[in-house]
Amino acid sequence: MLTTPLPGADARARQRASRERWVGLAMVAPALAVAGVVVVGGIGMSVVQSVGLLPLVGEARFTLDAYVANGDELLTGLALSLGIATASTLLSSVIGLAAAVIITQGRITGRLVAGLSAVTIPVPHLVGAAAVGLLVADSGLLPRWFGVEPGAWPDLVGGPWWVAVVLEYTWKESAFIALVVAGVLATRVARYDETAALLGASRARRLRHIVIPLATPAVIVSAIIVFVYTFGSYEVAWLLGRPYPEPLPVLAFRLFNSITLTSRPEAAAVAVITTVVSLLAVAVGMALLRRTPLWR
Amino acid sequence: MAMMIPYGQRITPDDRTTTSRGLMRPRPGGRALRVAVATVLALWFALPLVPLLLWAVANRWSFPAPLPTAWGVDGLVTALEQGAAPAFGRSLLLGLAVAAIATPLGALAARALTRGIVPAPRLVSALLLAPLALPAFVAVMGLTVLLLRARVPATLAVLLLLVAAALPYTVYTMRVAYAAHDLAYEEEARTLGASRLAVLVRVHLPLVAPGLARAAFLAFLVGWSDYVVTVLVGGGSLVTLPLLVGSYAAGVGNEAIVAVLSLGAIVPPLVLLLALGRFGRRYPTARFTGPTPSRSPKGSP
Amino acid sequence: MSASLTLDSLVKVFDDPARPAVDGVSFAVAPGECLAILGPSGSGKSTVLRSIAGLDVPSAGRILVDGTDVAGLAPERRGMAMVFQRPLLFPHLSVLDNVAFAATVAGQPKREARADATQFLELVQLAGFGSRPVTALSGGQEQRVALARALAARPRVLLLDEPFSALDPQLRGDMHVLLAAIRAQLAPTVVMVTHDRDEAAVVADRVALLQRGRLLQHDTVERLYTRPDSLEVSRLMGGRNELPGTVIGGVHRSAAGGVPAPEGETWAEGSGVLVVRQEALQVAAAGASAPEGFVALAVVVADRRARGPRAELELAVITDDAPDARPDSLGSTRLLAEVPASRPLAVGDRATVLVPRSACTVVAG
Repeated sequence: MLTTPLPGADARARQRASRERWVGLAMVAPALAVAGVVVVGGIGMSVVQSVGLLPLVGEARFTLDAYVANGDELLTGLALSLGIATASTLLSSVIGLAAAVIITQGRITGRLVAGLSAVTIPVPHLVGAAAVGLLVADSGLLPRWFGVEPGAWPDLVGGPWWVAVVLEYTWKESAFIALVVAGVLATRVARYDETAALLGASRARRLRHIVIPLATPAVIVSAIIVFVYTFGSYEVAWLLGRPYPEPLPVLAFRLFNSITLTSRPEAAAVAVITTVVSLLAVAVGMALLRRTPLWR
Repeated sequence: MAMMIPYGQRITPDDRTTTSRGLMRPRPGGRALRVAVATVLALWFALPLVPLLLWAVANRWSFPAPLPTAWGVDGLVTALEQGAAPAFGRSLLLGLAVAAIATPLGALAARALTRGIVPAPRLVSALLLAPLALPAFVAVMGLTVLLLRARVPATLAVLLLLVAAALPYTVYTMRVAYAAHDLAYEEEARTLGASRLAVLVRVHLPLVAPGLARAAFLAFLVGWSDYVVTVLVGGGSLVTLPLLVGSYAAGVGNEAIVAVLSLGAIVPPLVLLLALGRFGRRYPTARFTGPTPSRSPKGSP
Repeated sequence: MSASLTLDSLVKVFDDPARPAVDGVSFAVAPGECLAILGPSGSGKSTVLRSIAGLDVPSAGRILVDGTDVAGLAPERRGMAMVFQRPLLFPHLSVLDNVAFAATVAGQPKREARADATQFLELVQLAGFGSRPVTALSGGQEQRVALARALAARPRVLLLDEPFSALDPQLRGDMHVLLAAIRAQLAPTVVMVTHDRDEAAVVADRVALLQRGRLLQHDTVERLYTRPDSLEVSRLMGGRNELPGTVIGGVHRSAAGGVPAPEGETWAEGSGVLVVRQEALQVAAAGASAPEGFVALAVVVADRRARGPRAELELAVITDDAPDARPDSLGSTRLLAEVPASRPLAVGDRATVLVPRSACTVVAG
């Protein structure tokens, strides 16, 4: 039996493989170019500007002034942004998971919840913010329906606890998590649920031992996305928040549009810090994901 | 971030399943609890849309009144006077342009990645998903300097940034589609004598069409809903629907206009979503039988 | 842990009331018995199994376990365990915790549940695999773990839904041996769905043959082959020889001649089709006489097809109308016989077919 390949076959295979790699590279190149320019360019240029190497006027000089200039505002902004993002992420995860279970279990109830959450998805966040404003402001729909005077209604919009902002994020993102997790539950978990039932597990036990563990990776992935989005998003906090303190994106926005010469590098510094925290959040989320038993 | 949502796929049990499946049979205690939770959730998702619907048809709605005190379409009239129609058109064009560019780019990249012919695939996937982890304003603030110095027109700059923002969605969606797509169909077509082009047009594209539609919808949504990029780069020169919503919502006494504009921003994607739902179920058997493909890049942002 | 199982006129309608997926199926399984539900795809066999398990709710009919109707019982309270074609091992649990699952959800302490599970892993010859993740198993190993997990639930009835059909023949054979060993040791009541006649024959004591939702015959494997109730059963079991004719005075008369009923059996008078397995026919030299209990027919080999170690001979019966027929002008009465491939019979050769009377049966046409 001839077991070694014919001379030249090996070389031809290698040649073909290398040609395939070029084809592959050519296929990803356009997308990669766009994403690369925006991501690498965006972060890189932000860093360059933030350390004073690209001033609007005057000569370039390395300095960390931009990071110190608004030290206090940066710290309070960071804390505030982290707080808003954490609260929104936790609330949306819990509500989203509950909705996903309802969607995949119930008949009419499931369809109702699925339909309403699907309607929420294409609503732009800015529109969502306007809607939540019309609902919970002191002259909004809820105080009208509950018959509460504006003075007696808590400061949800523009108040000290940023309730309306968290509400808007939670409203939209819980729908997102609900549909993602429901998709996973419906396609991947249903058969395991049956098997577990046949092995004697009650509904509650199945929820605890099968449904929730199997849904966890999807919840974590979508929670990472929600956290990063809410942490770096501008328009909702701008519309429903209060003027001071400002979350990082709002702070960066104000500095960016300010007329002072030094404010551009300062805005860039805020952008860099926001990016670093976002990437850290992704890293933490991925570490969590790796610790779930499903991750290979 | 909506890319992981199974649009066009049934996730609720159908009537046949619920009436005949043992696990779905209602049990008294569980049922009451489920109905209660579902009611609360339905209210939760629906409630914020109610003031929009009411304000859009309210000419006057003085404070304590639970319902509008004078009904009418003044809001719509004012919104149109303030340029709602051209803004709507610009948003539509922007969304379509983003979809038209980001969908083929994403599909190409996804196809190459699923076929495993890309060098350093992990790095490439990470880069393509990276715009998701990067706050939009960071990219804008970093790049404006460059784009301004290169004299790139503002509209083009907005488009570039939004396409980048849409790429994670299209790449991910198409990777899922290609992971479920069996190359054997194309090989079969080749052996039957179809040329490369014929295979692409008659076999490949029709089979991944539902995926392409999903990807295009999500990319459209990125362009359609954007506020930050348009405001920062366009600097007010490109007035889209969200910009109008933003400027009226920031003022006071504009509730009716805001409501009309908001509904105008919600309806088109909803219509597309419904169309997508029908389209997505075109090949129900081909996509959902057999073991679920495990090669999908689920959850690697 | 074994119980008896009785199905009483089970009906299951999905979409079209005129075409029920399961149409009045009744049978009984004794404690410790292994029943195979056999049928082509779409015959409703999986629906029967899912109804027994409680995963599908029957439209009508009763399912009794040890004489008690289980209609109101949720799947998890029926004491069934099911092994599917896909192993469906919980991906977030280790091999051992998968096997320990039933005990865990029943509230047993983890240590006891695991100790118990270890025994079942040994039973399926996977001792020492407990700490592995389920992704580290081969297909055959996965199915063994699924079997161990089901057995560890101490089911009153063990349900198997084509559990081995995704495995290659070698592994499938191993699993049949394993199942036999388990039956010898634990004697569980087993209901297994399969589309494979040979698998049913190897594994089961009795077979319920389903077609289009209806139970055609519920019998031992041997009787399904030799005493089919109908032409449909004979064909589904792979029977190839059908001789239409008439029973007159206990003798079936057809174009091939007369065949008397086996000793101690009677055939209903009137028209009927005689069926006999191709494996039962013996081919002897031309002119050989029939021994006791056989009927001899003169034939010409009309076709020969290779079937690996066997050969399939199509034999044209030489009837009184055409006594010296040549192969190209043969009559339409054909018999199919399987012989060892080494038999040197070629097309055109004359021979004698010996039909054992005990292998013959007459069914309605």
